Amino acid sequence: MKNRKYFTVLALLGALSLVAAACGDDGGGETGATGGTSATGGAVDCAADEFGCVEIAAGDPIQLASLLSITGDTAFLGTDSNHGIELAIDYLDNSFDATPGQLLGHDVELTQEDDGCSAEGGQAGATAIAANPDVVAVIGTSCSSAALGVADTILGDKGMILISPSNTNPGLTSEEAHQPFYLRTAHNDKIQGAIVADFVFNELKVDSAATINDESPYADGLAAAFRDNFEALGGTITDTEQVSSADTDLGPVFTNIAATDPGVVYGPNFNPVCALSYTQGSDILAKGTVQIGSDGCLESSFLDTVGAPVKDFDYFASSPDVTAFQGGAFYKDEYLPAYTDQFGEPTSVFNAHAFDASNILFDAIEATAVDDGSGNLTISRTALKDALFATSGYEGVTGTITCTPLGDCATDVTIGVFEYDHWPVEGGVDPTDPVFSETKTLADVI
Amino acid sequence: MATATDEQVRGAELGLLERLPWRRIILVVLSIVILAVVVIGAYKTLTLPADQRYTTTTWKDFIILGLAQGAIIGLIALGYTLVYGILRMINFAHGEVFMFGAFGAYFFSHAWEESGFLDSNPVLSMALLLVVAMLVSMGVAILLERIAYRPLRNAPRLVPLITAIGASLFLANTARGFFGAQSRGFGVPAVLEGTWTILGVEVDRIQVVVLVTVIVAVTVLSLFVSKTTTGKSMRAVAADSEIASLMGIRVDRVIVITFAIGGLLAGIAAVLFSITFESVSFTMGFRPGIAAFTAAVLGGIGSISGAALGGVLLGLLQSIGPALILTGYGIPSSFQLKDAFTFLVLVLVLIFRPGGLLGSSEAEKV
Amino acid sequence: MGGVPTRSIVRAGLIGGAIAVFVALVGLYTKFADLALVGEQITLGRLLIIAPALVAAYAVTRPRIVAGERRSVPFGPGVVVGVMTGLVGGALFAAAVAFADWFGVDRIREVFVAVTEQLIAFLTFDKGVPGGLPELIGFCVVGGAIGGFARTAPEAVRRPASAGVLAVILFGLLQRIIPIVFVQLGFEADWLYDRGAGLTWFGGLIVFVVAAAANALWNRDGGRTRERVRRNVEQAPAAKVGLFVAILAILTIVPLLLGTVISEVLGSVMIYVLLGLGLNIVVGYAGLLDLGYVAFFAFGAYTTGLLTGAFLNTTTGAATPALSADLNFYVAVWIVALLAAGVGLLIGAPVLRLRGDYLAIVTLGLGEIVSVMTASKWAQPLIGGPQGMRGVTKAEVFGLNFQDNPQHFYYLALAFVLLAAFVSWRLSTSRIGRAWNAMREDEQVADAMGVSTTKFKLLAFALGGAIGSMGGALFAVSIGSLTPASFEITVSITALAVVIIGGLGSIPGVLVGALVLIGLPGLLREFEEYRPLIYGGALVAIMILRPQGLIPNVRRSRELEEEEVSQDVWARDAKGEAEAVAAVLPGGSLGVEREDLE
Repeated sequence: MKNRKYFTVLALLGALSLVAAACGDDGGGETGATGGTSATGGAVDCAADEFGCVEIAAGDPIQLASLLSITGDTAFLGTDSNHGIELAIDYLDNSFDATPGQLLGHDVELTQEDDGCSAEGGQAGATAIAANPDVVAVIGTSCSSAALGVADTILGDKGMILISPSNTNPGLTSEEAHQPFYLRTAHNDKIQGAIVADFVFNELKVDSAATINDESPYADGLAAAFRDNFEALGGTITDTEQVSSADTDLGPVFTNIAATDPGVVYGPNFNPVCALSYTQGSDILAKGTVQIGSDGCLESSFLDTVGAPVKDFDYFASSPDVTAFQGGAFYKDEYLPAYTDQFGEPTSVFNAHAFDASNILFDAIEATAVDDGSGNLTISRTALKDALFATSGYEGVTGTITCTPLGDCATDVTIGVFEYDHWPVEGGVDPTDPVFSETKTLADVI
Repeated sequence: MATATDEQVRGAELGLLERLPWRRIILVVLSIVILAVVVIGAYKTLTLPADQRYTTTTWKDFIILGLAQGAIIGLIALGYTLVYGILRMINFAHGEVFMFGAFGAYFFSHAWEESGFLDSNPVLSMALLLVVAMLVSMGVAILLERIAYRPLRNAPRLVPLITAIGASLFLANTARGFFGAQSRGFGVPAVLEGTWTILGVEVDRIQVVVLVTVIVAVTVLSLFVSKTTTGKSMRAVAADSEIASLMGIRVDRVIVITFAIGGLLAGIAAVLFSITFESVSFTMGFRPGIAAFTAAVLGGIGSISGAALGGVLLGLLQSIGPALILTGYGIPSSFQLKDAFTFLVLVLVLIFRPGGLLGSSEAEKV
Repeated sequence: MGGVPTRSIVRAGLIGGAIAVFVALVGLYTKFADLALVGEQITLGRLLIIAPALVAAYAVTRPRIVAGERRSVPFGPGVVVGVMTGLVGGALFAAAVAFADWFGVDRIREVFVAVTEQLIAFLTFDKGVPGGLPELIGFCVVGGAIGGFARTAPEAVRRPASAGVLAVILFGLLQRIIPIVFVQLGFEADWLYDRGAGLTWFGGLIVFVVAAAANALWNRDGGRTRERVRRNVEQAPAAKVGLFVAILAILTIVPLLLGTVISEVLGSVMIYVLLGLGLNIVVGYAGLLDLGYVAFFAFGAYTTGLLTGAFLNTTTGAATPALSADLNFYVAVWIVALLAAGVGLLIGAPVLRLRGDYLAIVTLGLGEIVSVMTASKWAQPLIGGPQGMRGVTKAEVFGLNFQDNPQHFYYLALAFVLLAAFVSWRLSTSRIGRAWNAMREDEQVADAMGVSTTKFKLLAFALGGAIGSMGGALFAVSIGSLTPASFEITVSITALAVVIIGGLGSIPGVLVGALVLIGLPGLLREFEEYRPLIYGGALVAIMILRPQGLIPNVRRSRELEEEEVSQDVWARDAKGEAEAVAAVLPGGSLGVEREDLE
């Protein structure tokens, strides 16, 4: 009797599932907002725009949102990028005077959300932003894990632009995974990997290297990019190691690496793994082995943890070449002083990328917003996207910005390799010269 | 009763299936498989082509790293084992007791590093750091017992266990709130940098200090527990707390002392750990904590020598294990699996010999 | 004074002051100094100033056992005692602030990063030391008075007042959510909330009055209404069904009313309800403490990805996993559940003999092994390593998209939750449930009585595994992208907390636990940084004060109650013992009223 009851329930469930499976739609799903109807319209046809338009009445602010890591261990990235955006808003009136300017006669209002440096954080933050149909565009995320398949999809489905100032994971702008409304002004790590490989092989003339990465997608991606390019140049990868991000005991790992006798160890990690790699690695590796980190290490806690450089050991770190920014007088003489005045020392190099991202966004808004004559703006989301992707030859602080159809806007990327005492922690306020600097584009790399 | 008859009938029908000693069979098969994996892996590693094989120096390095790390873990494990012996409870928050001790020592070490005192008076400063760490850890342990565990003295086993987990979370994040989320670098006196050559073998000076300190600490503890009155009271309470209290032993006081001693040892371990790995952070208690109670269980929980042995063994396993067994199979980045390895050992020990190596092979520890 | 010894008052005051210092050092004041709850004056920071004194006073005025009798503290003296407690606590707090100022804030900040000039300014109401100190002490005194009031005031005043205050605080904290809800429903919210800030004074008053009135009505006539409803619900099946239908209706309507943000939070809540239900079977029904539940969660998520055609993230773009299938979600999810049940059996078989702590450790170990494996390079060709997978199916059906639309996802999750709840409920009242009860209460006796513990333990593991993996499958669908960071021990601990705090063995308890532990933090994202701290504290507090959880399961709570204590406890000379004991009797240290369970 009981068995029969359970059997019926099971059968019912089975039937339901079959129905669901049969009626399931495998195509792309419904997408988002219908937006508003166009007012007197002008050149904007909102009804035809799949994602609708944003209407901004006269006197109302243009709403932007930022989705960055503002709490937790990666807070140094997010708060810094937010400052970059705030400076861009300030500069709307063409001067850094700590008073925000206006865009097309409207104030610009920035709502800050936290990306939590994780997929769930990205989902929560993106959903919160996407729920507000008045948001024109979003600047973010800080961490690639919050964007990959999460924030870029959620916002993209509503037709909201997502421009990242610090996502470097190559997957985000790959053929298979790129979302139509996603762009980034940060470099693609394939380029950084290639330039570091160049540095090691051609500059240091070392042909054997090992990599060690922590469990973040950033580190894994960058280490892989290095390996691919290094082997293409003719080098040998002697060992590939991975450690848990919370690990403190790197002794056995480095002993293993040392046993394979590499000339260089590339460890593009976040702290504390990066700092620990240096202190513990230099105890174990053979003298003369070069260790190289990356911009994930560039944080004041590194210096705190490591203290004085270890004798007989060379430690470098790769990062966007801030001196190339500084080559332009604007960055050195106006932007950086303004930043330090308003916010103190920068905690990462990516605030400049956030500044650039905001500016190309403002330009695109200016190009596509239609004013009906009395100060009411209408912005078609698709048109805005098209305008952004059409950005070409824009002279930004971080370099020339030309956006590719897959969302990589930092086309000419200059990566520098800095020596331990002289690297741009705290944003490189004092001009610090890299020992090596190179510019590449995506076409040059694996 | 109808049910009983059903069971009997079914039992008779399924006689063979139920009568086979399934558990025994599964265990035997499992042990054969594991043994095979280990032996084959080791063989493969040791017979790799000459240029890929580890040298003797490398093995020596692995072994000494393992010993030093294991010694520290053993010290922490002693805290677990002492508390378990008396309260039959796993103090999940012991890792955080350890972490606070490290932070306590850190602040002094940092100040002295800057002023140069650390380098000019290494012995004195190390001694003082040990004292500070011991005091801080002891304090946290005693507070923990008083606030979180004492009210639950008579509760069913599930309750204090969960409280311990909650306390662990709470303490770790308190440290985060107090000291910030970033890790800090721990200064090492200059004289301890570099190596000594002992018996023809080159060893890091810090590793020597660690091993010596741990041996001394364990010896002192063993003497304390076996010779002094308090020690005997501790053993009495561990054996049977009701009778002990009937004999006039103040059980509450003994429990507090046990926690205090555990904290003390954790403090020592904290300083040793910090100078070995040169960093402290609010998360530093979790992994060593789990490793330590793995070690305690491995050696036989409730036994002091078991904890020490378990610690050393675990350190060696963590260090040599991936290298010896996994490298042979060509598993990429095998050292990332170090923690999985540790836990696998834990699981296997508990399946095959729940009493640990130095304990009995009883299934239950009531 | 009022039956409360002075020694206790002083001690409580000092503890209150210490807690306040703790709150300051942990950084809660600096973070929430400006979070306005009502108007501009009542901020969360100020609330946190009076809170420790309030709690201390509430504790110290608890009814005590004197000569075998339970004596409450009368109202007047109760408030006075509260005031005194606040005074002592405030003095300690003020002394600490003065010390910090004298010693040098910058030097202290090298150790305690939260101690800044802003903190001192906040704690002295911008008047600095010593000018602001009397005001600080004054606040603590007020807090103490409120605490004493809250404990000793007559029932008729106390309950409505507490309800009102709690409602105001809740509305204040949810200041970013409730206005959206109002707008969604078509109402204005300006009268209730200041734009971008907390409640208006008017709004706060309305909320207080409404909540207090509701509570007063509910507790009318000395609780007759409440008792009557409760008795009906417990005894009359019709009332039970009615209640169930009502709750179901609310759960169904809510996302439609409240918009996408809240639906998204509710979706996460539902996933954890599912996990909680699964863990409830293992821990609550069968009494097997499982600390590694993340293993099933991860297994469910990744297997769903593999079976529905997700692909791996690589540096060069995307790659197909080593094993891959492209099934429909509704077919895949049952395969996943079946496989997970198998895994549950595999895990359960070797660990059958272990009990209590040992089982907990083993399951913890297994959970950690899975956690490590998700990120490993070894498994990268299969599940993507640190970079993870993306492109999990959207599980579309009838045009409903569950990945892109949080509201739709909620309904999918709700469907699974109802299924799991139904299974749990039927199991708990079945022969299997009775076997589990027997096994849990005394395994050896159960064995002797012919209950095959092996079979039932395995069944618990298998079922728990299946349900846990369904939770993972839903998670994968909702997020679409899987990275190892989502599969750490936190998941196991949170699921356990949901079950325990909600009430072991109680299905409504799991729902309440998830709402409190996932729903509230999901809505109050400002507290994200302090979430683990609060979880840890909540676990400890619940275990000490109310181990049977928020919505107890009657049978389980009897097991969890302390051993009966003799009436002559007062005759024992050790004061410590008496107090420890008094803390766990009904009306214990913080006066939690234990429901009448008989």
